[in-house]
Amino acid sequence: MDARLRRVNKEIADCKNDKTSKVSIELVDNSPYHLVGSFDGPEGTPYEGGHYEVDIIIPESYPFQPVKMKFITKVYHPNVSSQSGAICLDILKDAWSPVLTLKSTLISLQSLLCSPEPNDPQDAEVAKHYMTSRSSFDETARYWAVTYAGAPRKSEQGSKDVDAEVAMAGLEKAHVDRFEALGFERAKVIDVLRRLNYRGANVPKISEDRIVEELLK
Amino acid sequence: MDVDVFDTDYKMTARGRGKLYEVDHDSLSQADIERVMQKDVDHIKGVLDVDGDSASILLRHFNWNKEKLLEKYMDNATAVNEAAGLALPERSPQPGRSPRPQSTGPTRTTRRSTAESSKSGKTKAILERISPPVEEPQSFVCGICFDDSQTKYLALSCEHRFCTECWNAYITSKVRTEAEQWITCMADGCSLVASNLFVQQCLKKHPKTWERFQELLVRHFVSSNHSLKYCPYPSCTYTVSCPSAASKSSLTSMVPIVTCGASASHKFCFGCAIDNDHRPVVCGVAKLWMQKCQDDSETANWIKSNTKECSKCQSTIEKNGGCNHMTCKKCKYEFCWVCMGPWSEHGTAWYSCNRYDEKASVDARDAQSKSRASLERYLHYYNRWANHEQSAKLSVELYAKTEKKMEEMQMTSDLTWIEVQFMKKAVDEVSKCRTTLKWTYAMAYYLDSGNQKELFEDNQRDLERAVEELSELIEQPLDPEVVPTLRQKVTDKTVYVQKRNEIVLEDTAKGFLEGRWQWNQSVEGFD
Ligand SMILES: [Zn+2]
Ligand SMILES: [Zn+2]
Ligand SMILES: [Zn+2]
Ligand SMILES: [Zn+2]
Ligand SMILES: [Zn+2]
Ligand SMILES: [Zn+2]
Repeated sequence: MDARLRRVNKEIADCKNDKTSKVSIELVDNSPYHLVGSFDGPEGTPYEGGHYEVDIIIPESYPFQPVKMKFITKVYHPNVSSQSGAICLDILKDAWSPVLTLKSTLISLQSLLCSPEPNDPQDAEVAKHYMTSRSSFDETARYWAVTYAGAPRKSEQGSKDVDAEVAMAGLEKAHVDRFEALGFERAKVIDVLRRLNYRGANVPKISEDRIVEELLK
Repeated sequence: MDVDVFDTDYKMTARGRGKLYEVDHDSLSQADIERVMQKDVDHIKGVLDVDGDSASILLRHFNWNKEKLLEKYMDNATAVNEAAGLALPERSPQPGRSPRPQSTGPTRTTRRSTAESSKSGKTKAILERISPPVEEPQSFVCGICFDDSQTKYLALSCEHRFCTECWNAYITSKVRTEAEQWITCMADGCSLVASNLFVQQCLKKHPKTWERFQELLVRHFVSSNHSLKYCPYPSCTYTVSCPSAASKSSLTSMVPIVTCGASASHKFCFGCAIDNDHRPVVCGVAKLWMQKCQDDSETANWIKSNTKECSKCQSTIEKNGGCNHMTCKKCKYEFCWVCMGPWSEHGTAWYSCNRYDEKASVDARDAQSKSRASLERYLHYYNRWANHEQSAKLSVELYAKTEKKMEEMQMTSDLTWIEVQFMKKAVDEVSKCRTTLKWTYAMAYYLDSGNQKELFEDNQRDLERAVEELSELIEQPLDPEVVPTLRQKVTDKTVYVQKRNEIVLEDTAKGFLEGRWQWNQSVEGFD
């Protein structure tokens, strides 16, 4: 049996046998080289209660070259692309070591959700959001967790769908309220603010006149 | 003029008889570079009292900067050894252990940054020890492949043990896939570096990979030295040394086109990434031009096409040689391939196909016609640039055709094989001059209008005309009656073309040295 196959089979078996493990690995089709890993969102984070799936490709020269992983579940996180799920993590690149395993890598991903690295971002917009307004960032991340990762909606959180829409767009509720108070339709305000990227560091750069101008179009 | 005289003359040119447009350079084989590297290693070995492999690692860590290495080493040898992956930091992954327990935190610190941060604290100096693979008496299970039939293991001085198979696969992957000569221990977070001896041992059964590793060492050395450059031609292992072009600032006054020792066709620019001759234009301008062409490629693509319509009868005409004097097969209309104008006008003094009429763009008033004028201006130069490039590409066909003609000549006249070589020489010269001409259009596009530009374009036009005439001579159908006259004509014309080319190259090079050329936009290095 070739070394890669033996190693991957053992990793999958070990993971299955480990009942205490917090991560799981499943085969996608019959190939052991295309897998799906999953784990729960860490407690005390906006991702808590969510379930996250990761696409895993075992390259030809595994384990001497790093495994390829990306999120299948949409995640709002500075080091994960909000579009493609691509992950920026050093052990998936030049800090990879052949002794690292699928399981340890998945656990590292889980830990990444606890401790973002906004200085080494994958998604610059999300990172900016994280750095400039934590509460607003947390709200959006939470909303994504509820919508995409199956996290339970907390009772005190906005039950109105419009608020959810604000969080979803990565906007501040206060901003939306302000322009709505000027007499514009809420949906339109959200749309314009999203298009102008009225988030985080961009906020002071975009004048109210400009926004109103857009709203009047 | 005799063929032999021409031949000698040509050789003298190639050798660089102090030509301004030639640059002095040397070609070094891989073995030559290895000898230079060994000298550095021996020097460090002697001064620091370390073994050769350690000296090599230290030098590689400092990108072969001996002075910096010695300075830092004298300052804090322990920190240097640690940073260079020669010794383990005091608090490091426990040796002999299998992979660190399932980590709970992501390992954000990259190896490199760990290695480079000079930690205070003692280091235990460990001597690199290479021993034959050790047979583990008790059960040894390699932490990478989990193959319990593997009983032989190897470890760096950190004692992180892995089976020989895994070491081999790992190093092979680093060398072959990543082209990496800096090979660290496989254990997570361990930054010890494998010595050359260790690598050689692991690759004992894979001599090709070991060879590649040695090539990577040479490439790393070459890339660390500004006066060296590795030949960019595929699978060539030669290096060119060109100290006079080592600094960025030198590139505003010269075009360092060099040739490696492996083949005369391995011609490349020492100063930039263009792996071809781009004289007479300097690297900065060539780069601007290439970028411009890339950006505007769609607009200009049609020009490159091999077919055009005759402007008289609209039948499709295909270009299949380098000559720009086209005759429509159908209506016999003679025209210039580049400007599509009648060829008859190209012979007279008042007509110039190479010069763009700047007046048109000056007259342009509104923005729209201005942008159209600027596109037209660009297309004027691009058209000619692309045309010479295309003609040079067609030279392969031209060579084949010429060879046939040379055979024909031998049959129909009493000329020997040696005596018909004038044809091949002419083709060589034409393709060489087309390269020059091509780049003169990039140069002219960026030259500020004025006296200097006009003089430049005069020289350009003279060369272009001479090249077209020679091109026509060698592409015309062969008439056995006139072979001796043709030979005389071609030989004379070749000498003339060569002289014109020389004038363009030499005068442009001189202009760079004198700072005579002014640009119509800012060019890297010029201010
Ligand atoms: Zn192994
Ligand atoms: Zn180690
Ligand atoms: Zn070469
Ligand atoms: Zn260059
Ligand atoms: Zn025609
Ligand atoms: Zn013309």
